[in-house]
Amino acid sequence: MTFPSGITNINNMAPELPVQASEDLLSTPMFNLIHSFGVDLHHAESYVGKTTRMSRFERLSTEGGQLDGSGIDPASEVPIRTDIDSTMEIYAKSIVTNEQVVLYENSKTLTKFTALLGQWLREKEDLLMRDLFSSSVSYINATGGLNGDQPSNISLNDVNNIENILLGNDARSMLTSLDATRMIGTAGVRDAFIALANTNLCADFQKVQGVLLKSAYPSQEGIRPEEYCSISRFRFFVSSKAAKTPGISLKGNTVYTIPMFGLEAAAKIEQNNYTAVIGYRPPWVVSSVAQNSQLYAKFAIARAITNQNWISGLNVTTFQPS
Amino acid sequence: MAFTIVTQGTFTQPATAVSQNIPLPSGADYFVTTNLTQMALQPSTGVVVRGEWYGGGLTAINDGIRWKKNGTTPFGLQIDTFANAVSPNSASNGFTYVNSFPQPGPAVVGTAITNANPAVVTMTNTFSEGDVVQLFNTTGMLQIAGMAFTISSVSGSGFTLLGLNASGFATAATAVTARKINKMMPVEPRFLYVTGITQATQGVVTVSEAHNYVVGQKIEFSIPGSFGMVQLNNYYLPQNAPPVITAVTTYTFTINVNTTNFTAFAFPLSTQSPVAALFATVASAGQSTQFNPITGVQTGYNFQYVPFHSGNFVPYMYLPAGAQSPGGAANDVIVYQAYKMETGTINSPIPS
Repeated sequence: MTFPSGITNINNMAPELPVQASEDLLSTPMFNLIHSFGVDLHHAESYVGKTTRMSRFERLSTEGGQLDGSGIDPASEVPIRTDIDSTMEIYAKSIVTNEQVVLYENSKTLTKFTALLGQWLREKEDLLMRDLFSSSVSYINATGGLNGDQPSNISLNDVNNIENILLGNDARSMLTSLDATRMIGTAGVRDAFIALANTNLCADFQKVQGVLLKSAYPSQEGIRPEEYCSISRFRFFVSSKAAKTPGISLKGNTVYTIPMFGLEAAAKIEQNNYTAVIGYRPPWVVSSVAQNSQLYAKFAIARAITNQNWISGLNVTTFQPS
Repeated sequence: MAFTIVTQGTFTQPATAVSQNIPLPSGADYFVTTNLTQMALQPSTGVVVRGEWYGGGLTAINDGIRWKKNGTTPFGLQIDTFANAVSPNSASNGFTYVNSFPQPGPAVVGTAITNANPAVVTMTNTFSEGDVVQLFNTTGMLQIAGMAFTISSVSGSGFTLLGLNASGFATAATAVTARKINKMMPVEPRFLYVTGITQATQGVVTVSEAHNYVVGQKIEFSIPGSFGMVQLNNYYLPQNAPPVITAVTTYTFTINVNTTNFTAFAFPLSTQSPVAALFATVASAGQSTQFNPITGVQTGYNFQYVPFHSGNFVPYMYLPAGAQSPGGAANDVIVYQAYKMETGTINSPIPS
């Protein structure tokens, strides 16, 4: 009988346990949630239907009005009310987990999966607001860039054109009130409108005349990580999931949509008691032999453009085709 | 509950068959259609009477298994795939499972767009009547490059743009590329491209797509100076009140604004692109409910169209229309069923 000889090492003596888990989970990727910045939040009551109405009275006419002393009254005016309606919709996601996942190999799945569902909830909400902006707003094609495409890459003239539109429509800038300051953070730049853009445009922002990168703001206090720069009177917030449509520019390049707006341009309506519901269904409910449990998240949301005159924006391409 | 029907139903194709979207909230592992009308007939060779789709990526986009009658007596069945184009078979449109909002389709290159009313595009294509396409690379007609149009009179060699009167354009286009896009935007009511506005006591607006705006709906225009009639932009209007729609047709709507003395609406020259600002657009700005006590007619409210809402339910199964497709032909009765395995997928089945 012979015996193996030599040094015992991990090549001839395989590990009893092949891996060990590090003490912490790695980060789950999450995109910037920017599409509710500057959006009005409303609440829908229960038991009164799924359509929420937001109403606005239009200005009275400033024509005429002078009294001539004859005793004849000026014509009275019927106020105009504009109703903006939005339909409540419910979205949900669930994770069903078999008991063996926990029994054999994983710990604290309830905690981990609950966090995942919570992240889904906010990401989904953000994308729904993005879709509202990309679908239901009029945009102007950028023309001031030099890439020869239609729309062109972004330029200062294009940004100023949108500012003219918003100012001409009496839009209110975002950072003139304390509430707005609390909502999106502030820094030492003048009162501004908001612009929401795709991260692919960051390189082009740096080339725009007069751009003020975030690092150059006079004050760094309270600046949100999603903010990238300030151009003219707009502060640009970026997300990798901001709106883009591939292959539809004049030259067949990706077109990016940048909503640019002031106060009360858009609204998000939350259903009372249904803003963020996360729940757990135990195994004896989900499975007849109590082997599967379920976590779920759901929320109700309605969205609307509440004033088309206080929101505009740009369609742009990138200087380098993308 | 190992494998269960998660949704089922029937639909009857109208006189002009149209493609169908079947909502599938939970997705599906298996989807089947049966053409009850053709199943009972002696159809022409190749008519599909049953279609099957498998999930988990096993069925390619626009494909699936088709059961078709062979047309000989006694009638038998031939089973192959929708994509099978090996002679004597020919490919036909099959199932497409859509689980995210549809992105633009592949680019299709054409050779011309007439400067006529309506404009006509020359292009070898497989688009369907009523599809919406985004046009670009429109050489000689760059002022419409990037616009979306509903297409009609579709043939294999071209289609008509009923929403575009190009008779005032200086030249016809000598090239064009099109991508099919979704008919609905993720959120409706959506913005629309304006292709014409008349100078009249009540201006008539033409848009590039078959729209679903309604009487009583309020709108706001965004008209760059390069298109002329900037007076319709809100800041020019008295009281800055949004215009209201008073009448609609498929591609037009009438507004309560006297545009007689406004600057004429016209596209900029093609040669001005890419410098001229594009496009003229219009977007929904709410509504104003009005009730006429004399006629008893209420205008300005339509729960189906006016409130902001999702344009498309996702995910869904797309069933293209056609005698050799799962959606069936005119007047066919189709039954569909979607199945799902509760605790596994087709790629990694788990007994339950």
